[in-house]
Amino acid sequence: MKWFDAARIRLPLLFAGRAAEARMNDEFRFHIEMETERLMRAKGLAPDEARRQALAAFGGVEKHKEALRDGRGLAWLRGWSLNVKLGVRMCARYPGVTMAGVLAMAIGIGLGAAYLEGINDFLHPALPLDEGERIVGLQNWDLEENDPELRSMHDFVGWRQELGSVQNLGTFRSIERNLGVADGSAEPAQGAEISPSAFRMVRVPALLGRTLIDADEQRGAPPVIVLGHQLWRNRFAGDPGVVGRAVQVGNSTSTVVGVMPEGFAFPVSHHFWVPPGSNAQAYEPRQGPPIRIFGRLAPGVSLEEAQAELSALGLRASRELPATHEHLRPRVMKYTDLFVGDEDNWQAYLVQLFFVLLLLVLGSNVATMVFARTATREHEIAMRFALGASRGQILAQFFAEALVLALAATVLGLAAVALGAQWFTRLLWDVTQGQIPFWLDDSLNVTTVLYALVLAVLVSLVAGVMPALKATSSRARARLRHSAGAGDSALRFGGLWSAVIVVQVVFTVLILPPAIVSISALGEADHTDPGFAAEQYLSARVDMDMGPEFQATCDELRRRLLMKPGASRVTFASRLPGMGHPEAWVDVDGDGSAPGAAGELVMATAVGVNYFDAFGAEIVAGRAFNSGDLRTDAGVVVANEYFVNEILQGRNAIGRRIRYTTRYAQQAATGQPQGLPRSVMRERGQWYQIVGVVKNIGMDTTRDAFTSGQGPGVYHPLTPEAAASGGSYSVRIAFHVRGDAAAFAPQLREIARDVDPGLRLYDVLRMDGPVDRVSRNQRRMGRFFSSITGLVALIALLISVAGTYSVMSFTVSRQTREIGIRIALGADRRRIIAGVFSRAMVQIAVGIVLGAVTWFYVIVHVLGGRDRVGLLVVTAIVLMLVGLAACGGPVRRALRIEPIEALRNVD
Amino acid sequence: MTRRPIPDILAGTLDLLILRTLQAERMHGWAISERIQQISQDVLQVNQGSLYPALHRLEHRGWIEAEWGVSELGRRAKYYQLTPSVAGSSPSKPVSGSAWPRPSAA
Repeated sequence: MKWFDAARIRLPLLFAGRAAEARMNDEFRFHIEMETERLMRAKGLAPDEARRQALAAFGGVEKHKEALRDGRGLAWLRGWSLNVKLGVRMCARYPGVTMAGVLAMAIGIGLGAAYLEGINDFLHPALPLDEGERIVGLQNWDLEENDPELRSMHDFVGWRQELGSVQNLGTFRSIERNLGVADGSAEPAQGAEISPSAFRMVRVPALLGRTLIDADEQRGAPPVIVLGHQLWRNRFAGDPGVVGRAVQVGNSTSTVVGVMPEGFAFPVSHHFWVPPGSNAQAYEPRQGPPIRIFGRLAPGVSLEEAQAELSALGLRASRELPATHEHLRPRVMKYTDLFVGDEDNWQAYLVQLFFVLLLLVLGSNVATMVFARTATREHEIAMRFALGASRGQILAQFFAEALVLALAATVLGLAAVALGAQWFTRLLWDVTQGQIPFWLDDSLNVTTVLYALVLAVLVSLVAGVMPALKATSSRARARLRHSAGAGDSALRFGGLWSAVIVVQVVFTVLILPPAIVSISALGEADHTDPGFAAEQYLSARVDMDMGPEFQATCDELRRRLLMKPGASRVTFASRLPGMGHPEAWVDVDGDGSAPGAAGELVMATAVGVNYFDAFGAEIVAGRAFNSGDLRTDAGVVVANEYFVNEILQGRNAIGRRIRYTTRYAQQAATGQPQGLPRSVMRERGQWYQIVGVVKNIGMDTTRDAFTSGQGPGVYHPLTPEAAASGGSYSVRIAFHVRGDAAAFAPQLREIARDVDPGLRLYDVLRMDGPVDRVSRNQRRMGRFFSSITGLVALIALLISVAGTYSVMSFTVSRQTREIGIRIALGADRRRIIAGVFSRAMVQIAVGIVLGAVTWFYVIVHVLGGRDRVGLLVVTAIVLMLVGLAACGGPVRRALRIEPIEALRNVD
Repeated sequence: MTRRPIPDILAGTLDLLILRTLQAERMHGWAISERIQQISQDVLQVNQGSLYPALHRLEHRGWIEAEWGVSELGRRAKYYQLTPSVAGSSPSKPVSGSAWPRPSAA
């Protein structure tokens, strides 16, 4: 009870502040008035005299107040507010250190916070649904392949009947269909075949009409569709009477039964919903389409309990169906873990250590600057010691000063992160054409802010307390006593300072080239010369459903196009010139005259037989493809000139063989059949023989600061397998148009609809720009990261230059007294100047040499980057200039002072 | 007779004096100092420099609490009283003058 009374009374007192002062005044005034009256009554004094005596008896009012304030327990708080005030004043007094310090810390704190924000948003997102944390995903885990088995329709049927701990169990599968008003134009949209139970589970009612219901799933039910808000607004102009209308969904017609509210995109980023088309009961174990399974934990059931029940079912299945289920273990997990994988998340946090280290490096950089500043404040420290300050109080002051810097940096860093997150989300939205998961949230998490604050305290300890510890160590204090008033700096670092300067220079040397490269990359043109008259070509992505008629459809498209006046040179390919091409590692077979090569990175794509002709690319050796190469087992490729020059060193390529070092790489290069378990990817692929060499035509990789965009590549013949992507075929069509290529687009759409209404056309674009949205956005993504790298590198550069400058100028100004005395003794000024500068130049030179060696070793040797001698020379010159500037000021000051002044005092 | 301030050594004693004074009724600061002086038959004069810090200290410890009221002369004054837990833990015997030890007045 007692502590409660104490707390009850004390708490308001703590926060009373000004009101408390006022009440204190009232109380004292009352006392003095009462005393005055007593004196008047008891001793018959005149009012004035009585009041004087009362005041005298009371003593100093201020003194009492002070005693009371101390009693209130606020003394320490006032001490801190003073420290903070001093800190702010220090920041204003040394704007250079402040700016560099704040920027340095902002980078460290900002990067750390951005990373944490990123992994929390992507790996541990919260579902913005009612009790979203209870929504779970279920999947079969294949122990043998260490990969999920998604063909689990059979298991789903069993689980739905038996699982008690997970309710509203359902499945979904992403589909893409042309969607439009019946008999009108149709455009592709991303939707889901989804169990109606999903809508009960998410607890989101329809905006118009109804959601899917169980009856929709029954065999023979009329086909229905629920539209997303965005589709409804864009394709149906927000028509409130849309419910009940018939719409064309792919090749069939469905009735709209409802529209979902804005922002609803469950299961991931889907814009329409149809009931699952297939009869779930019909599938054998490990057969059927790949599906995702979701559900909601029953009330009061924990994830572990659900897992226990599911595991029991899984064990039974592996006993009863050993052929298929021996290695399958069902798992239940947080819903979003279905998509990000929940294994080994801690590793992501481990990377955080890297950012903390980076921050510490930056922090110690700030520390050297602060230290140089601290060294000029040793009189202040000595004075405070003399006045009885404890070491702790002085440390607290320096900590507070650094904390002021760090908090400013935190605000700056977090603002940058918040801005960057929004920027990035917008970019992601563009790049994926709206296919970003609905749970992504671009506002800052609370944990991120807290983490940034922790980092701020950490960096303040490094930048503030470490220099202060050094400056207040007993040795330094002893010197302070001896030198008090003499003006000599007691903080000696000798060799250490030289080392600090050298390290600073090394850091700068390593930072400068990437900074320049990433900044200059920003100014480069968006698109490189493709090597043909790109503005005369029209291209598009054509998607079609899997089936035997791939080749026939392509041929029919070509035939119809060629019938149009102006269109010629129609060709098909997986990737077109100017697009990003997939890259894969290959081995190159040796032949009698030349050694082979292993582990070369090449670009790869599959192209139609007339591809090279269509773009006017000359065959420089061997032959182009012919129709015989379209057999799956033909095993031939055409290499480009980069391949011959860079990988074969210009030797003969015809007849040499390549193979992909993993099956996965081969799939990436020649097409990606879906649903293959990962284990086969470990096998090496088959050999391909090079039958021709073609001139380079625009095989671009994603362009960013460090890749130049063109390189060695091989072309495969375009077989249906190579065109397969996901559950459908996806190829690019390109053809020459006489006249305005862009104006031909409507005719292309018309022809495509005539050939097959199920054909989906995307990115109908002229080829002189980025050929598809993906490659344009990849470029934008590349630019995004280049500009971030560039900015960070630039600031880091600024900081290391500032650090070099401040440390160097500090070491020279420490010699002021010495220089003054030497001049008083008649030393030659030129020799003094030469001495100071040569020392500085040696320090910088050592730094540059060490930096250059590191640079060449790491960048050229380990990373295989290009040497940039020119940049190194620029770096050296810049640093020398910085060195000259850093020494120049203090030396000039030192030379100018009167000898007698030098002997007496120097500040 | 000269009034002698309570020496510092009696700081703890002052707390006790205040607590005992407040046992009877709630009082404001000036009245407390008068009462102590009166009860000690003018031997002890409470130094205001000790009285108010002592009052606030006791308030802080949660032994007494204060509230603003109107004094007998119609002025606003701050009244102190024992907190319930302290009041309950000590014998609620009314304070009589003779109960006070009297330092030698010689």
